[in-house]
Amino acid sequence: MLDIAGIGKERLHLAWVSSAEAQRFAEIVTDVTESIKNQGKFDPDSFIFELNAAEITLAGETLRWLVGKEVKITTHGDVYGRNWDKESFESILDSALEREYQMNVIFQAIKQGCKSVRDISSKIGLDLMRVSYLLADMEKRSIVEFTGMEDRKPVFAAL
Amino acid sequence: MGNFEPKIVAFLCNWCAYAGADLAGVSRLQYPPNMRTVRVMCSGRVDPVFIIKAFKQGCDGVLVAG
Repeated sequence: MLDIAGIGKERLHLAWVSSAEAQRFAEIVTDVTESIKNQGKFDPDSFIFELNAAEITLAGETLRWLVGKEVKITTHGDVYGRNWDKESFESILDSALEREYQMNVIFQAIKQGCKSVRDISSKIGLDLMRVSYLLADMEKRSIVEFTGMEDRKPVFAAL
Repeated sequence: MGNFEPKIVAFLCNWCAYAGADLAGVSRLQYPPNMRTVRVMCSGRVDPVFIIKAFKQGCDGVLVAG
């Protein structure tokens, strides 16, 4: 998620330390501090768009369902009796994550006052085709609304 | 950039890493003071949203230790 949002997963560290491993804990803290130091300061204001979208994505229903059902579906198959291996499930999860994230970025852009596909595309750096494809999806889910034409450009509003 | 001190939020599991951190303190091991600790009852309690929130509040890095 952090990679998709352009923040970079290097800023997040995960480590396993048992309660008896004080030495290891001190080493990990030193390493992590060093690594973050080398990456420099993180400015949340320049990423506020991405962070908001990432937050909504991770709190959203689609992702939660997919993550919550992963073990069940990869070990017992889905409701249609199809078996999924871990890799294909995870690639589905990744593409869903990316799609949800992009939709949320578009939603943020519309809320900020971008109206046409071209405005949104230039604001968030996603190509026109993808933006209009996702907008159509978002319209179906009643997240955005097509409000009419303005200078022969279709205009959208957030609901 | 030479004397930049990063702010790092650490989510520590009460039973593993937090106890480890406690022991590190008791045994007087030196480690950098950039850590801001959040004790959780299990590292499974850490929601990805917490991490995004931490970045939003302006921390430079996040450590999840269990």
